[in-house]
Amino acid sequence: MYAVRNWLIGVVFMVALIASPAFSGAKTAPDTVELNSLVNLYEKVHFNHAKHISIVKDCADCHHHTAGTLAQNPNCVKCHKNSGATANVACRSCHLVQPFSAAALRQKDRSAYHNDILGLKGAYHQACSGCHQKMGGPTGCQDCHARKKGGDAFYSAGAFAPPQARAKQHGQ
Amino acid sequence: MKRRDFLKGCMACGAAATLGASQQAWGIGSFEGYPEGMGVLVDLTRCVGCRTCEAACNKEQQLPSPDVPFDDKSVFEEKRRPTEKAYTVVNRYDTKSPGGPVYRKIQCNHCNEPACLSSCFVNAYTKTKEGAVIYNSKVCVGCRNCMIACPFNVPGYSYSSAFNPVVKKCIFCYDTRLKYGKPPACVEACPQEVLTFGHRNDLLKIGRDRIKEKPDRYVDHIFGEKEVGGTSWLYLAGVNFDQVGFDTTMSNDPILSNVKDFLGVVPMVLTIWPALFTGFHLLSTKNKNHADHENGHSGQEVHKP
Amino acid sequence: MNRYIANGVKTVDSHYKVPGRIKWGLIDKLLLGLTPGQYIMQAVRNPFNWILAGIFAVGLPLIAIRFIFGLASVTHSSYDYPWGLFLTFGLFAMVPLSSSGFQLGTAVEIFGRHDFEPIERLALLNGLLGYLFAVVYLLVDLGQPWRLPYPMVVAYGPVAVLFLVGWHVATYLSVQVCEVSIAFFEWIGFPLGKKGMRSIILGLTVAGIILSTLHQGALGALYNYAPGKVHPLWYSSAFQWLHFFVSSIPGGLCMVIAVSTIVKKTMAWRCDDNFLNNLDKLTISLAKGASMGLITYLVIKMMGIAHDNKWEYLATGYGAWYMFEMGVGVILPLILFAHAIRNKMVGLIRFSAFLTVFGIVLNRLNTGLITFNWKLAEREIPTWREFMIAITLFSIYIVVWRFILYRLPILYTWKTADDSATVKAGGYVTGREPEPAVAGSYRSRIDDRAVAPAQQWP
Repeated sequence: MYAVRNWLIGVVFMVALIASPAFSGAKTAPDTVELNSLVNLYEKVHFNHAKHISIVKDCADCHHHTAGTLAQNPNCVKCHKNSGATANVACRSCHLVQPFSAAALRQKDRSAYHNDILGLKGAYHQACSGCHQKMGGPTGCQDCHARKKGGDAFYSAGAFAPPQARAKQHGQ
Repeated sequence: MKRRDFLKGCMACGAAATLGASQQAWGIGSFEGYPEGMGVLVDLTRCVGCRTCEAACNKEQQLPSPDVPFDDKSVFEEKRRPTEKAYTVVNRYDTKSPGGPVYRKIQCNHCNEPACLSSCFVNAYTKTKEGAVIYNSKVCVGCRNCMIACPFNVPGYSYSSAFNPVVKKCIFCYDTRLKYGKPPACVEACPQEVLTFGHRNDLLKIGRDRIKEKPDRYVDHIFGEKEVGGTSWLYLAGVNFDQVGFDTTMSNDPILSNVKDFLGVVPMVLTIWPALFTGFHLLSTKNKNHADHENGHSGQEVHKP
Repeated sequence: MNRYIANGVKTVDSHYKVPGRIKWGLIDKLLLGLTPGQYIMQAVRNPFNWILAGIFAVGLPLIAIRFIFGLASVTHSSYDYPWGLFLTFGLFAMVPLSSSGFQLGTAVEIFGRHDFEPIERLALLNGLLGYLFAVVYLLVDLGQPWRLPYPMVVAYGPVAVLFLVGWHVATYLSVQVCEVSIAFFEWIGFPLGKKGMRSIILGLTVAGIILSTLHQGALGALYNYAPGKVHPLWYSSAFQWLHFFVSSIPGGLCMVIAVSTIVKKTMAWRCDDNFLNNLDKLTISLAKGASMGLITYLVIKMMGIAHDNKWEYLATGYGAWYMFEMGVGVILPLILFAHAIRNKMVGLIRFSAFLTVFGIVLNRLNTGLITFNWKLAEREIPTWREFMIAITLFSIYIVVWRFILYRLPILYTWKTADDSATVKAGGYVTGREPEPAVAGSYRSRIDDRAVAPAQQWP
């Protein structure tokens, strides 16, 4: 008799454990995310996801409705009032690395909605810098990602800067 | 003398007439761009003045090294314009708006009916079907009429070259990207996605949607939709456009329409003047002493005093 | 030169140094009938030549520098002001002043006013040299001047107004060369050439007037490409081409008056009686034509302002400058011409003609340089090197003028073999009884024409 009870408790415990979000099909929110799409110019960004969760708390601030919480943007709520979580929450699943490729443009042409979605780079910067300016986070380019030598060459800066004593040409 | 004079006069004028300019009939102001024409929507509410677009253009078009690094913000202290070394520049405008300074990217707007193209007497400019206005430096004589005509003051000229000075301006990265359906370098580089690349018609819809969704953020006008016949590079702003350096007095007619009337006069003069002045000649010299004409002149056409 | 003539040196005015026996050679003709030593002495003694030497000493190296090092070495390399002094002065201002060619050609050949013949050749030469040097200024200004023939043979942009300007100026230059070549053939002794040209003179003249109307207007239409950049008082959306064309009428006529004044004062030895005796009367006639041009121009300028409703601009600083230009360049000459014509005051006419020329030049400079880009914050003043090159080219223009006037039969009548002994300043224009078919006309005997009775002055 006690054996059956203990077994039942064990099964219920295991089911509860398995059903809990930590073990369910849903992924865990990563603590850090490495953003590395611009490695030829900048070092990788080590994005501290855990810290942002603890500061922001509401997933919808960055992830719209995809994390299951209600979206804040009135333009989105019109349609997504009852939308739940999506399979994929990562930014890059909707914000393309190359938003203006011919294929992406063709896709845009056909859809009536979501045809003005930012690309990945734009999404990162627009999501991050607006909030950072209000909350006192890092706002300079190199505050989040240090420039590499390739980046210095690109901007004609640092070691690749032009000589200081170059007079401005008149009339230009 | 009359008949022979008249015919010789007409022949000479006919020769002059055929040497005159031949005119095409254009429906002015009604060209809205090629159907596959691309464009770029520039959202000035997003620009933060990082100048990455300038750096990207410099690398893509293999322009010479700049005078100052591209991350140097001191350049904003004065207003710049595109030059032979910089096809695009960003200017800062310190408006009184609470949002802080507004930054504007300036480059060739790739107009639907470009003034540069209309004013070039060796046809050095072409409006491609992708929407770019490109330039053929192999035929350019260096008259710089295009620089006079461009209402946006865009083309630069390489005056410093003694033997091959040419016009220098943004070509929408046609040779390296647009031809292959790829967006220009500045669009790809912009971190804030100020620049949205797409078909011009779609961009107009996107622009209107943005204004509709956030009416407090945007001024209700897309600059370039109609100005000077419409441009491929369109602008949205959060403040009035004249506060950020745009010329808001521009008419919607393409620049070419200002010279169309004169061009229409040209064939009229070429045709009417010969008869008019030969007629004057006949009328005013009839009763002069021409007794020797009746005696058969020796082929002289001069008028005897 | 006057000194030589006073000492008995004969000037070249016919083929024969001694009638019937010794011919002038080409060198003699080039050296004005002087020995090389005499020629050099008269050149050195002329103080105007010292001024020219000074200008060339600075200017010619500058022109060389422009071609070796590019336009950046002599201009501001301006993107906002791509057209500087070379074009606004050398081309836009000189072309209307050179419209005398088609005007006098039309008067004489189309309307049959042969009383203008004494000054016709001067006017034709003024036209030719003005356009020729406008092209020279253009070649100095163009980025790649060796490509100037491109719009004619390589690539065509017929929609462009400049296409029309290029073709017309090229064609018109040819017309003018033909017209002036008549004097050249007389001088060089090629009667067949002269006969050939005379035979097509009517066609040439009509072609000239067509081409001139259009390209004088087209130069104005070029500014229609920049409606926002030219100041509203100098810009007319509908009439820009008419303003430029109509202002070229008084411009050309007054330039002829101005040149003839200078000629009379500095090289009277070269002028024959036919020219000198008729000059005053012809000056008055030219002034009448110029006056009609000026009053028409004044009225259509007012119409231009009314058409676009720009009256309020007159109250600005630019408005005051505009009124200065119109006042000194148009209204004052009109008043002076009216008074002087009525009272036959030739000196006052001449002064007024110089004022008109100044007014036309100022108008073109204002339109293209001084009030151009009036909305931009910065005005641009050309570099001193640009000024210097413009002055140098203008000095070369003067030198070429002088060279031709000293030699070719422009100011004097070329005597042919049969009448070298008995040339008189006859011809019907002076009212004297003309000699039958011989003397006093610009046409040589080959023309075989009867001389008509004297015409009444207008």
